[in-house]
Amino acid sequence: MIVHFRLNGEPFDADVEALTILLDLLRSRGMTGTKEGCGVGVCGACAVLVDGSPVSSCLMPVPCCEGADVWTAEGLARREPALVDAFLEHEALQCGACTPGQLVAAAGLIADPTPARDIRRYLAGNLCRCTGYAPIVAAVEESLPRAVGEVPGEAGGGGL
Amino acid sequence: MARSDALDKISGRAVFAADVAPPGLCHAAVARSQVPHARLLEVDCSGAVSVAGVIAAVSGRDLPARLYGRRVRDIPVLARDEVRFVGERVAAVVAETREQAERAAARVRIEYEELPIVMDAEAALAPGASPVHDAPWAYPGAAVREQDGHNLQAVFEHGSERPVLDMLAAAAHSIDEVYTTPSGHQGYIEPQACVAWVREDGRVDLWMANKSPYRLREQLSACLELDPAVIAIHPVAVGGDFGGKGSPMDAPLCIELSRLARRPVKLVQRYWEDLTAANPRHSARIRVRAGCDEEGRLLALHVDALLDGGAYAGYKPRPSATLHGLEEPAGAYRVPNAFVRQRIAYTHTVPRGHMRAPGSPQATFAVESALDELAASAGIEPTDLRRRNLVRTGEANAWGAVWQESRGDETIDAALAAARALPVPEGWLWGSGLAVYERLAAAGRTSLRLLPQPGGVLRVEVGMPESGPGGHSVVRQALARALEMDPDQIEVVQVGTDRLPVDDGVGGSRVTGTLSFAAARAAEAFAGGAGGVVMVLSEPHAIPMLTSFCVQVAQVAVDPGSGQVRVLEVLTAVDAAEILNPAAHRMQIEGAAAMGYGFACLEDLQVRDGRVWAANLGEFRTPSAEDVPRWRTVLVPGAVGLGALNVKSAGELANSPTAPAIANAVAAACGARVRDLPITAEKVYRALNPT
Repeated sequence: MIVHFRLNGEPFDADVEALTILLDLLRSRGMTGTKEGCGVGVCGACAVLVDGSPVSSCLMPVPCCEGADVWTAEGLARREPALVDAFLEHEALQCGACTPGQLVAAAGLIADPTPARDIRRYLAGNLCRCTGYAPIVAAVEESLPRAVGEVPGEAGGGGL
Repeated sequence: MARSDALDKISGRAVFAADVAPPGLCHAAVARSQVPHARLLEVDCSGAVSVAGVIAAVSGRDLPARLYGRRVRDIPVLARDEVRFVGERVAAVVAETREQAERAAARVRIEYEELPIVMDAEAALAPGASPVHDAPWAYPGAAVREQDGHNLQAVFEHGSERPVLDMLAAAAHSIDEVYTTPSGHQGYIEPQACVAWVREDGRVDLWMANKSPYRLREQLSACLELDPAVIAIHPVAVGGDFGGKGSPMDAPLCIELSRLARRPVKLVQRYWEDLTAANPRHSARIRVRAGCDEEGRLLALHVDALLDGGAYAGYKPRPSATLHGLEEPAGAYRVPNAFVRQRIAYTHTVPRGHMRAPGSPQATFAVESALDELAASAGIEPTDLRRRNLVRTGEANAWGAVWQESRGDETIDAALAAARALPVPEGWLWGSGLAVYERLAAAGRTSLRLLPQPGGVLRVEVGMPESGPGGHSVVRQALARALEMDPDQIEVVQVGTDRLPVDDGVGGSRVTGTLSFAAARAAEAFAGGAGGVVMVLSEPHAIPMLTSFCVQVAQVAVDPGSGQVRVLEVLTAVDAAEILNPAAHRMQIEGAAAMGYGFACLEDLQVRDGRVWAANLGEFRTPSAEDVPRWRTVLVPGAVGLGALNVKSAGELANSPTAPAIANAVAAACGARVRDLPITAEKVYRALNPT
């Protein structure tokens, strides 16, 4: 079956089977920024934005993307230069295996119009084994749109 | 200055092993044992061969009988006659796509004759236990002798036991307790992965998620009886290691499959395979006996550790096949009579390997919990007891080591000075606990090549992979400093094993130390040359005896009704020399503390009945951004460091004291002493409500 959607801002058609997984399609087309980690929708290494929300592409059948607007880390790195700069400035990475997924989730959060945004809760679906999370949270905190005069808060831990 | 690899990793351009796709690539999948111990009566691949897209399907009998290992060579490339754990490789399929290969692997028919299983380390060493291997002492590189008996992978003793036992019997105060820790997975996000390509002329190209490619080449050469010169291991980014990516793992099989298929073959583990059948941390049962006098001075320490090594010993890299962290526990203290015994047993469970400071998280949980229990029995405040026994500069520690300087007091001072009590919810109890760890600074062998480029650019070839800690950026920074160059003019690239003579790889907290020595040598050679190409081989010897202290203070809130524990904060004070990259250094500390928190409160592979039950990352819970407590990191600068860069190690410090600091905090909060990790609400509840 032919599925039509937008990928990183461009029209995209894919001839797939009903249960072809989005992660496999992307990687087979050379878009290897989207990673397979846990394979069960827990770790977030395979996150992509579908109509603005981060989803685990390892669980997403391609036909469910019909008509959707899909963004991967490769596309978001071009679309969100300020966010990339925040990741660079805070050095919000080490091994890099989770990093494209973290960028995707961060891009989803900064475009989220709902006012209550708990960064740590939003990023809880993107596991990182290297950093301890503080630099990632700080990069996202700095990138959130805020009211005039508002300053970024201190990136503390979750705990409670 | 940003890391040299940051932009490629953020934008998804960095190439990891699973991203490599040579022309003609095909894919492999593995059929694994479903039972912990059996004779293989038949392995029938005919059903697999008939699946569309299948190129080849093989069982162990179709391949030469070959064993691999990092030291002890006891791991079959594919099982032939016998399987020894659930998840052991029994057959493999190569197909045009990964899905076809997996579908076909599921159709391999395996006929087992099930045999009795050795379930855990205690059972393995019990009289009359059935042997896991016929003659473990006969494997190449074996660390045991025939007189050690069956079912031992490694055995180690340090100190004289008799005087220690006598002193314990005579001590004014003493404790005798057993501490247990479960098996856990390294939790890297990138699963084990390799791509092998055997060319017509016999050359082997390999791309692998592996942290020590030069050693891997030797290990593959020994296993496959190949000249190391025909094996080229190409550079890829490594998506997290933490000790778990130093072995050949699936590479020997992948090479055999590529030879059969005459095409490049990719073998990437699904994460459930990595959790159940790779090389997770040793579970441990550690009995600690400690005694002190009326003033709290330690008189004797006896540590007896029994570890479950699983079905094979080959995932441990040291010639002794022991875990370093259980050779010199309690190194921070002066103890006149100390004895440690470490035994690692063969069992019919997943083979165990190294994980960040191998043996130390287990040992530190046991000893630092025991010190708090001893302090309680002596009526001394636990931090006071530690201070009375800390090694001072010039003194020998429990094992006779004398360091150039000993900064335990300063590190405890810094931690306590920074600690601030946090509020707890209504009705919850507050507690704080402290633990101490120290680790020797290390440096290993590596080589670098400096190639001047047009426009004043200096290209630097390194053999050491980048698994996260930022070693490539250390090289750039060190050379920029030594040669007075703009770091942007220095381009660091990892090269394959065919380009440089040697590299020990990432591990043992030695990345920055190793590169500190190597970059200094390279800069000297480059400045002394005529501006031409320079290659240096750095092999530091006479490394000074320097250790780093790490003191953690954990604050917890405990709900006495349910036993639920919330870790409010983990404060880490680190004894440091010069810090090259503050952001990277902080991540080594906080990332380690996060791993320590997971070990303390969440992670358990649940190895029962010869099987790993926590078979996905939902069941094996590594901490998320929401789970982790607040981190505070306090540096205690001014120490003497290694090499021209004056650095100390950082990568394996902060994950060891976390669990005892939390356990001590829980005991301080509510009186519940949990001696079995992870610390769950159920265990705290049971300790508070004994039946």
